Amino acid sequence: MSVKYIPVQWNSNKYLYDLVMLCGVALFLYVFLYAAPGLLSHERPINPQVHNARAFGACAFVMLTVILCIGPLARLDTRFLPLLYNRRHFGVMTVFVALTHASYIVDWYFAFSMSDKYEALLFANTSYGQLQGFPFEAFGIFALIVLIILAATSHDFWMKFLTPPVWKRIHYLIYPAYLSVVAHVSFGVLQDQQNHVFTAIFLAGATAVGGLHLVAALAERRRAPAPAADTAEWIDICDLSQMREGFAKIRLLPEGDRVAVFLHEGRLSAISNACAHQNGPLGEGRIIDCLVTCPWHGFQYDVRTGRSPAPFTEKVPTYALRLSGSTVQVDPRANPPGTPVEPVPVSGSGTAEAGV
Amino acid sequence: MSDPDKPFFVGYLPVPRALRAFLLVVCVIFVPGLAGLGLALGTAQDDPGEGAFRFDYGRQTVTGVVELTPYPVLRVTQGSEHVAVGQTLMLAGQGKTSVDARAAPLEGQLATASGVILDRGDLEMMQLRGGQNGLSAAEGAAPEMTTEPLGRWRLAGEICDGKCLAGAMRPGRGIAHKACANLCLLGDIPPVFVTTQPVEGHAFLLITGPGGTKLPAEAYHWVAQFVTVEGEVARRGDLLVLAIDPATLERAD
Ligand code: HEM
Ligand code: FES
Repeated sequence: MSVKYIPVQWNSNKYLYDLVMLCGVALFLYVFLYAAPGLLSHERPINPQVHNARAFGACAFVMLTVILCIGPLARLDTRFLPLLYNRRHFGVMTVFVALTHASYIVDWYFAFSMSDKYEALLFANTSYGQLQGFPFEAFGIFALIVLIILAATSHDFWMKFLTPPVWKRIHYLIYPAYLSVVAHVSFGVLQDQQNHVFTAIFLAGATAVGGLHLVAALAERRRAPAPAADTAEWIDICDLSQMREGFAKIRLLPEGDRVAVFLHEGRLSAISNACAHQNGPLGEGRIIDCLVTCPWHGFQYDVRTGRSPAPFTEKVPTYALRLSGSTVQVDPRANPPGTPVEPVPVSGSGTAEAGV
Repeated sequence: MSDPDKPFFVGYLPVPRALRAFLLVVCVIFVPGLAGLGLALGTAQDDPGEGAFRFDYGRQTVTGVVELTPYPVLRVTQGSEHVAVGQTLMLAGQGKTSVDARAAPLEGQLATASGVILDRGDLEMMQLRGGQNGLSAAEGAAPEMTTEPLGRWRLAGEICDGKCLAGAMRPGRGIAHKACANLCLLGDIPPVFVTTQPVEGHAFLLITGPGGTKLPAEAYHWVAQFVTVEGEVARRGDLLVLAIDPATLERAD
C-alpha cells in the first residue's frame, strides 16, 4: 500500500529477515570457498576461478530451492507465512549470487581467446542436436535472464505499473527458470562427477520443490472443492454457524476466482480472495482495526467496500451476499473493484436468523 | 477459514509472541543448514589431477626441429634443465591462441623455443613467450627426424584440448569443460586424445584429422565425451600422434 515508491520500505522484521538470509548465504560461501579446500586432499588445487564459480552456482541453486519451498510450506502451514513476507529480498540476493557464478564462468572458460567472451559463450559449443555434450550453458543463460527480469520488476512500482495479473504471470516464469537450472546442472556437471554428494543434494532439493508444490495443491483442492457444474445463480458458502467473528470462509467460484466471506461485527461481507498487491489470500488474513489484513504483506481493505484506507488506493472486487435460511450464499458475479456493498446483518452472532 | 487459534503475522507489526519460538527454530535450522551444505558440496569436489603450469621450473629455452603435425611441435635436439633431448613438445601461444603463424615459416628447420612448460604425466607442452622471443630460427642444419608408423588403432577415450588438460585449467576436461575446450580447439591449440588403454605406454596422443589435417569440424561435437575412434598412430620422438578417421567416431558406453 505504498503511496510513494521508495526503493525499499524497511521495518525491523525486514532487517531481521535479510540479516538471517545474508548470514546463511555468507556462511555457505565462506565454508565452500575457504574451509572446504583445506579438507580436500588434492595433489594440486582446483583453479580458484572454477572453485568460485561452483560455490556461487551451487549457492544460487540452494537459494532458489529455498525460495520455491517457502510458497507451498506457507500454504500447508501458516506459521511459515513470515518467510513469505520478505521473500523478494531473498530473490534479489539470489540474482547477485547467480550473476557472480556466471561472471566467473565467462571470465575464465570463455576468456583468453581471440573472440569476445560473450560471443564465445554462444558459439563455442553448438552441439544442440545431441543430449550428451549439449551446450548446457544455454539453460543457465535462460535462467539468469529470467532471474534478472524478476528481480528488476520485483518492486511494487512494477506491480502497479504492469497490474498484478500481468506481474504475477511474469513471476510464474520462476518455474521454467528453476526447471532450466535443473537442466543446466543435469546436462552439465552431474554427468562429470565421480563424487555423487552434489547429485544427491541436488536431487533432494529439486524433489522437495516438486513434492511440496504437489502436496500443497492437493491440500488446497481438498479444502476448497470446486462447485458443482450445475450451480444455480447463488452459491452456497456454508452454514452461518460455521462463520466466526473476524475470520473468513473461502470458496472457489465457477469461473475460477475465489471469494472470501467475512463475519465482522455480526455482519457478513464478501470480497475477492485475491489481494491487489500480489494476489495474497485475503480470506486467510484477519480483520484488524476493521480492515481485512492480507497475510502476505499486510495490505488492508475495508471489508464493506474492498478499498484500502486513505491515502492508499488499492481496490479489490466485492460480492453481493444473502442468507437463505441459515445458509450463507454469494452472488458469483463480482462487483467492480471498490464497489460498496451493504453488509448483511446476522441476528445473534453465530446463529441462523437474518434478513436478506 | 484461517485458524483463529493460530497467531497472525503482519509484516510491519511486531512478531506475535507465539510465533517467535517457531521462527527461531527455522533460523537455527536455516543458517547452520546452509553452512553444512556449503561444507558437503565444497568437500565433494573431484581431484583435478596432476597437470599444471610449471612456473616452478622457471622459463625454459630449448632448441629443436619444428614440425607441423599440422599442429606445431618441437623435436628437441638441445634440451634444458627440465626438457630432455628427444622429447617432443607441443607448442601453444598465450591463452587460447596458436603459434601456427610463427611456426609455419620454420617448418623442418632448427629453431629456439622459449617459454613455460605445462605437464601432466607424459603430456608435455610449451607455452611460448610472445613474438620473436618465443620462437626463432637457430644456427645450423636441422638433423633428419623420423616418424615411425604404428598402424591403425581403435581407441576409447576423450578428445580434449592439450593445454587445459595439461594443466592450464584444473580441471581441464569433462562435459562441464566442453565449451572451453572447443574454444581452445577453435583457436588451434593442439587437441589431445586421452585413452583409457595406454598405447605403447602413452595415455595421451596428439590428435589430428585424417592424413595430417587439422581436427575436422564434425569432431567438435564429440569433444569432452567418452568416445571410440579409429585412426593411424605414428610416433614422433616421445610423442604419439593419432590421425583419426572421423567417420569412425562413436559414443562409447
Ligand atoms: C550465463 C549463465 C550461466 C552460465 C554460462 C553457466 C555456466 C556454468 C558452467 C560452465 C558450469 C560448470 C562449472 C564447472 O563445474 O566447471 C556451471 C555449473 C553450475 N551452474 Fe551455471 N551457468 C549459468 C547460470 C546459472 C544459474 C542462473 C544457476 C542457478 C541459479 C546456475 C547453477 C549452476 C550450478 C548449481 C552448477 C554446478 C555447480 C558445481 O559444479 O558444483 N548456473 N554453470
Ligand atoms: S499479497 Fe502482498 S499484501 Fe497481499
